[in-house]
Amino acid sequence: MQISNMVVGQFYPGTSILHRVDPRTKIIAACAFVIVLFMVNGFEGLAVMGAGLAAVIALAGIPLSWLWRGLKPVLFLLVITFAFQLFLSGGEELWRLGPVTVYRAGLVQGAFLTARLLLLVLSGSILTFSTPPVLLTDALGRLMEPLAKLKIPAYELALMMTIALRFIPTLVMEVDRIIKAQKARGAVTSGGGLLVRARGIMPVLVPLFVMSFRHADELALAMESRCWRGGRGRTIRRKLAFSNKDAVFATVVLAVLAASLWMGRFR
Amino acid sequence: MRLELENVSMVYQSGTPFSARALEDVSLTVEPGERLAVAGPVGSGKSTLLAILAGVETPTSGRVIHGTREISRRQTPPPGSIGLAFQSPENCLFEKTVYSDVSFAPRRQGLDGQEVRRRVENSLAAVGTDPASIGQRSPFSLSIGEQRRVALAGVLAMEPRALLLDEPTAYLDPAARRELIMQLVELNEQTGVTMVMVGHDMDELARFAGRLVIIDGGRKVAEGRAESILTDSALLAGHSLDPPGTVELCSLLSAATGDQVAPALSEEQAIETLMQIMEGKC
Ligand SMILES: Nc1ncnc2c1ncn2[C@@H]1O[C@H](COP(=O)(O)OP(=O)(O)O)[C@@H](O)[C@H]1O
Ligand SMILES: [Mg+2]
Repeated sequence: MQISNMVVGQFYPGTSILHRVDPRTKIIAACAFVIVLFMVNGFEGLAVMGAGLAAVIALAGIPLSWLWRGLKPVLFLLVITFAFQLFLSGGEELWRLGPVTVYRAGLVQGAFLTARLLLLVLSGSILTFSTPPVLLTDALGRLMEPLAKLKIPAYELALMMTIALRFIPTLVMEVDRIIKAQKARGAVTSGGGLLVRARGIMPVLVPLFVMSFRHADELALAMESRCWRGGRGRTIRRKLAFSNKDAVFATVVLAVLAASLWMGRFR
Repeated sequence: MRLELENVSMVYQSGTPFSARALEDVSLTVEPGERLAVAGPVGSGKSTLLAILAGVETPTSGRVIHGTREISRRQTPPPGSIGLAFQSPENCLFEKTVYSDVSFAPRRQGLDGQEVRRRVENSLAAVGTDPASIGQRSPFSLSIGEQRRVALAGVLAMEPRALLLDEPTAYLDPAARRELIMQLVELNEQTGVTMVMVGHDMDELARFAGRLVIIDGGRKVAEGRAESILTDSALLAGHSLDPPGTVELCSLLSAATGDQVAPALSEEQAIETLMQIMEGKC
């Protein structure tokens, strides 16, 4: 893969209602969705949840090609999950192909688990598709605020995430440049045996570490010289505020989740 | 080696909401053995142009030709034919000693020990460092200026037929800048290696370039002999570039004396012009 073609972060800019809902609402909704996802048995429940998710994706105006990009990295996992379930269970035989036997229960179980995993990944993706990374960490920080009372440095953790996110594009571009420069000097970064490739990584890895430490050093210096001294008493410029959009969104999500629970568990 | 770009356009991350157009329909020929400078404001696409010219970046459309060979994603340039130094090449140092870093490319090329040694010593000397005194030091213990030289030596050690340099003097002090440019010119004159240098300091480019290309907003907006482009203050100003100090001096003199003072491109030329004016006055 060429790094420069990689999407840095997954945010897809837009003005849909999903983009404008408070990120905290979206995080809580996604968590609730995942919990219900693991409570639901049977395909009916999953179908309701899938339909709800599809509606949200359509609402957010996220193109299928973008969705596909987000799914590509986990495709392998989905296929493996399906294959394992398919072959590893006993029961009623469906068909036989040489040494391989496919059982009905395995097929059903594989399809169910794969669908559940797919919905899991998609629900997380929707969150990152519709929320700029910085807002996401802001919201996580706010949600974790009560933890500060337990002496857990919630604000610092959120800041760390924000900084990490901020530097991903920078580092990706720099690594891209380093790879190309070292390739031009004859470094092998792809192909070849494992040993060749492991050794080929050093010309990229060493400069990457050196550069990361330098960035960290410079940033620390810059923050200190601007009197940064931890999260206490910090005021926030980008205020998060719930609005009636959040109420509408939350109600709809609750309705979908209740319907899927009823379909998939209590009926 | 002749390097050619034919109607090259480049869009980064095309097909996404973040697509960024970096180059638009640029055609360019770099003649064998020449010293070409590419100038333009920040973000104009200079680095992109250089990466495409080197064959490490594939353009969205257009053709790249090295000598008689068309370069593409599958047909990459033969290893060692193009020496490429991106901005701040010292970021690519990685070995334990200067010697092993500079010898990385020749070792990868499979040359024998004696040839590797010759190349390392030659290229370290070409950038004005002493192989004997710094060869066994860690590259990270050197000053930025020295690291830069070592990194460039690591590129030179391939003995490439074309050398592409992206702002090789950035972040160096004025003396080091001057010296590096002089060494590059000398190298070109001695070995005939084709050179393309990206920069935006016109004083520097005046000392370096035979020919000059200006790009702005991803388009080639001017191309010609260095002396005709660098003396065209209006053209340069139109693309957020300053003319060389000597040219500026001559236009100030023109304004002050009311005579038309021919623009000077080197300090020697400027001094001569000044002498003439002073002789006329006395
Ligand atoms: N890897 C990349 N991904 C996305 N955009 C890029 C990338 N590299 C450069 N660009 C964009 O392309 C344009 C030209 O960049 P560059 O060639 O670095 O200009 P210059 O070297 O003249 O400053 C800029 O707008 C820059 O933001
Ligand atoms: Mg640049």
